[in-house]
Amino acid sequence: MSSNLRSARKLLVFLAKLLFSILEALIFVLIPRPRKNVAGEIVLITGSGSGLGRLLALQFARLGSVLVLWDINTEGNEETLQMAQEAGATRVHAYTCDCSRKEDVYRVANQVKKEVGDVSILINNAGIVTGKNFLDSPDELMEKSFDVNVKAHLWTYKAFLPAMIANDHGHLVCISSSAGLVGVNGLADYCASKYAAIGFAESMFVETFALKQKGIKTTIVCPFFIKTGMFEGCTTKCPMLLPILEPDYVVRKIVDAILQEKLYLYIPKFLYFMMFLKR
Amino acid sequence: MNVMMDTAIFLGKFLYYFLESVAFKIIPRKKKDVAGEIVLITGAGSGLGRHLAIHFACTGATLVLWDINQESNLETCRLAKEKGGMKVFAYECDCSNRQEVYRLADQVRKEVGDVSILINNAGIVTGKPFLDIPDHMVERSFHVNVISQFWTCKAFLPAMLQANHGHLVFISSIAGMVATGKLSDYSASKFASFGFAESLFIEFSLLNKTKIKSTIVCPYFIKTGMFEGCTTKYSFLLPLLEQEYVAQKIFNAILEEQVYLLIPKFAYFAVVLKHLISPKMMIVLGEYLGMDTCMDSFKGRVKENEPQDEMERKCQ
Repeated sequence: MSSNLRSARKLLVFLAKLLFSILEALIFVLIPRPRKNVAGEIVLITGSGSGLGRLLALQFARLGSVLVLWDINTEGNEETLQMAQEAGATRVHAYTCDCSRKEDVYRVANQVKKEVGDVSILINNAGIVTGKNFLDSPDELMEKSFDVNVKAHLWTYKAFLPAMIANDHGHLVCISSSAGLVGVNGLADYCASKYAAIGFAESMFVETFALKQKGIKTTIVCPFFIKTGMFEGCTTKCPMLLPILEPDYVVRKIVDAILQEKLYLYIPKFLYFMMFLKR
Repeated sequence: MNVMMDTAIFLGKFLYYFLESVAFKIIPRKKKDVAGEIVLITGAGSGLGRHLAIHFACTGATLVLWDINQESNLETCRLAKEKGGMKVFAYECDCSNRQEVYRLADQVRKEVGDVSILINNAGIVTGKPFLDIPDHMVERSFHVNVISQFWTCKAFLPAMLQANHGHLVFISSIAGMVATGKLSDYSASKFASFGFAESLFIEFSLLNKTKIKSTIVCPYFIKTGMFEGCTTKYSFLLPLLEQEYVAQKIFNAILEEQVYLLIPKFAYFAVVLKHLISPKMMIVLGEYLGMDTCMDSFKGRVKENEPQDEMERKCQ
């Protein structure tokens, strides 16, 4: 008899929580969430030497954050540093780092901890793509895709998450892809790696939530193809629904999502519908 | 004008396939005959792999069993032969080792023939909070659960394409569609496996000649010992599944050439829901279904002759 009561109570609690979160979700559809202030936060961006990484760096420069830029390409990274300083950043640090190599990540992470401080916003953006048919993709390149697009996230989390947990303050951003939501022809290894990035980021979201650490946020970004040169040559059949995106637009949306502490961001909005259909 | 034509054709095809899928919900598809097919199962030494091997043994197919554990693999071989398997071949193989996969694939080609049904089943799980998992075990999860599948597909697809005949089966997991705590590496690798399988499916259904089929399986926790200690809160919605039941469902799905298979059926609903609701709602639902505590008493496989804290090397 008492176990029935307990189940009934659990059900009621669940329904109440569900109702509350439905209402909360609805309200936030109408009223935009407040945007947090990131001045003084230490923002680490991997793959900051070009493309999306560089544009993200510039945005955060304008917001007054401390920038830590990681890229395998020293020259590109130094250029981003200069641009960030011109955009108003007072503290910018650039490091050359091959994120696919665990030892490199840990070594440079330690350097960052000593020289800059605890990273509070981690943006896992570095990514590579092979773009060949599966049977034509060389094995080493497939492994490298995985190393850069997924494993790098594992190592950066291991390096920076403990401090975030200790401070109960942090934001983990995963730049995945729409190819991490839907399989795509000619991108088998890229898809697998982007799916894995989402799975990992989501799993870690659940884990950090279970730790009752309200201070640790997660944002998972899934854009369609962006005109950064990474997907040069890709075409879209229906630009109205699935356009090849302008980098500036994408970056603004990403930064917005981070400031509003959104969990998922699909760009363009049509992807939400597509995912619903897919299921 | 082109856009109108394109859209019209698309809508036509979409409607047709929608009606077709509705029809197949009512009328079951025909099960194909696999007698004479060469079925390769990775991780055949135990659990799901063994059960699948036994199912295929009764069909007249030729079985090729791969596992890192030769002893268990030979046991599966014996069981399969008992059930009527005429031609069963067992090979010891660490699927995460690319060279080994290619070498054994060549051996299989010479000794048995061209594999026509490839079942990527081998998998391992660590089951700890992410920051407590040693780096090498995190990497191993990926190498066994998904990267090994790159190699097996590379090894056996060319012959399938040439014969324009083949079936790729991927045993992923619900954790490959909905993330779970304490399963970060496992989940990520199963997501990857799912994405890889889907990508290949699209790649081969876009190529003109394609009689190559794909089946992607996402079961909830199965009582094979791999997830020993896991609990579930509402067993009528999300039960801990019996091996035999799952193997039967997968077997049927392969014979009917189903593309996606989620077990139990409630999982379909849960996955759709996941994409509709806000993150907080997702968490609340997860709490209610016991997803936040399901891994708390996880023990995993315990080998008798090995010390408890040694790394789990067994493939499922």
